[in-house]
Amino acid sequence: MIERWALVSGLKGDLDTYELIQKDLKKTPGNITLFVLGDMIGPEKNCNRLLHRLINPKSNDLQPWCIYGWWEEQILLESGYRGDQRAETLRINKGEEVVKSLTNAVDKSFLDWIAALQFGFVELDCGLIHGSSKDIGENLTLDTPPLTLLDRLTRLQVNRLFTARSKEQFHLELTEGTVNSEVEDLNGNRKKEQKVPQKAVIGIGAGKNYTLYDVGTDNTQFVQAGYKSEKRIKGFGML
Amino acid sequence: MNQAVISCLHANLPAVEAVLKDIELQGITNITCLGDLVGYGPQPNEVIELIRDKKIPTCQGCWDEDVVDGLDACDCSYPSQLAEKRGHFAHQWTTDKLTKENKDYLANLPYSIRKDKCLFVHGSPNSQHEYLLPDMDAFAALERVENARAEILFCGHTHQPYIRELADGSIAVKIKNAAPKDIQEKEIQLPMRRIVNAGSVGEPRHGGTKATYVVHNEVTNEVKIREVEYDLELTCKAIIDAGLPQIFAWRLKNGFEFAEQAEDASHVCER
Ligand SMILES: [Zn+2]
Ligand SMILES: [Zn+2]
Repeated sequence: MIERWALVSGLKGDLDTYELIQKDLKKTPGNITLFVLGDMIGPEKNCNRLLHRLINPKSNDLQPWCIYGWWEEQILLESGYRGDQRAETLRINKGEEVVKSLTNAVDKSFLDWIAALQFGFVELDCGLIHGSSKDIGENLTLDTPPLTLLDRLTRLQVNRLFTARSKEQFHLELTEGTVNSEVEDLNGNRKKEQKVPQKAVIGIGAGKNYTLYDVGTDNTQFVQAGYKSEKRIKGFGML
Repeated sequence: MNQAVISCLHANLPAVEAVLKDIELQGITNITCLGDLVGYGPQPNEVIELIRDKKIPTCQGCWDEDVVDGLDACDCSYPSQLAEKRGHFAHQWTTDKLTKENKDYLANLPYSIRKDKCLFVHGSPNSQHEYLLPDMDAFAALERVENARAEILFCGHTHQPYIRELADGSIAVKIKNAAPKDIQEKEIQLPMRRIVNAGSVGEPRHGGTKATYVVHNEVTNEVKIREVEYDLELTCKAIIDAGLPQIFAWRLKNGFEFAEQAEDASHVCER
């Protein structure tokens, strides 16, 4: 049986989209594991129904594996789960109103569950995170310098990094890399050529846009919930 | 035009005096310090006052930060519980000894200093606690310099001096899952960058007992590691007289590389 991952993020309380994705996945062939890479909550909608469903899946739901995202980090900050810090970045950038909407959108009874979520998963040689291995709020896109992408891969010691924060869908391979290093210290000189094996960064999308990953063939499919899957048409030329 | 870069003085006054003398003898007046003025050693106030007196621009080191803000480094920065205990003791001892004025001075030190194409930091541009070891992943090392928009990154913190050149780099990328008509492949050339670690004046960990620092010629870009002998008996005696852990004196005297460094030195505390 084909091993597939479904990678979802940015639901922000949208239970309808989540149900649509669950419906899609029932029709998708293969043995599917569902990962939700953060931003299950957001300030726009009441998130309690979605959170309840994620924690208590229906009998025919695929079990979701969740990590926390940027919005979860904000509510944990604001609710005192990170020591003395509060969600100041959010407050400064979006204002007090948004901070209030966020705390109102999530019942306090869910906070301990959110606080217990992990920063990311490492499965096989893949890292599944919300932003980057450096910062939960970091956007990785096709425009991110490859050196930065390589660093974020190296930090997690993985060959593939699935990221959600930018909301974009892309599959960028770092096919080859080389650099010459020469170190001089009190013991003398040493030279080394360092090469990197093939690595990739995959943007999984957000909301209705999610990604199917075929573990065996390393192929991605960018899908919109409720539509039949289609390959995304995008290259450097369009960005 | 030569500039001298010193780091990790660690309250070792005889070592600092010897190094400043060595710099003076070469006629160098342009000096930058990469922090860790205090910690381990017995003369924290004296060393700070000497650096302030000479008006040497200084970045804040990991010890300088911790003495002011409380311990920030997590347990993982120590190789053993015993080492951690010693570190905490030295931290407390230093905090008690420092004058308010000197604490304020440490508190107000900048994280980094930029001069043209040179960036000066204590650990790495990311954190005062990150170790840039000489043989760390070359791409990750290059990323630290490049993302800091520098050509030469001067750092300390490892107490091992080195000069590392990263050259002729490239990364090829390819977009999978894109339309055939779009450009899908390209190769990015990486710039040549250097990382210079100034070693340590007051607590060397290069296998010998001499204090180390570096001299950079701003015209030719040549960098030289300097080793300076100092009266370490004086420092060792002061360590013992001060009631600091004797192992600090023993380490200086024997020039042991072994020190208070975590096994996974690349680990950065996320706290
Ligand atoms: Zn130091
Ligand atoms: Zn340090």
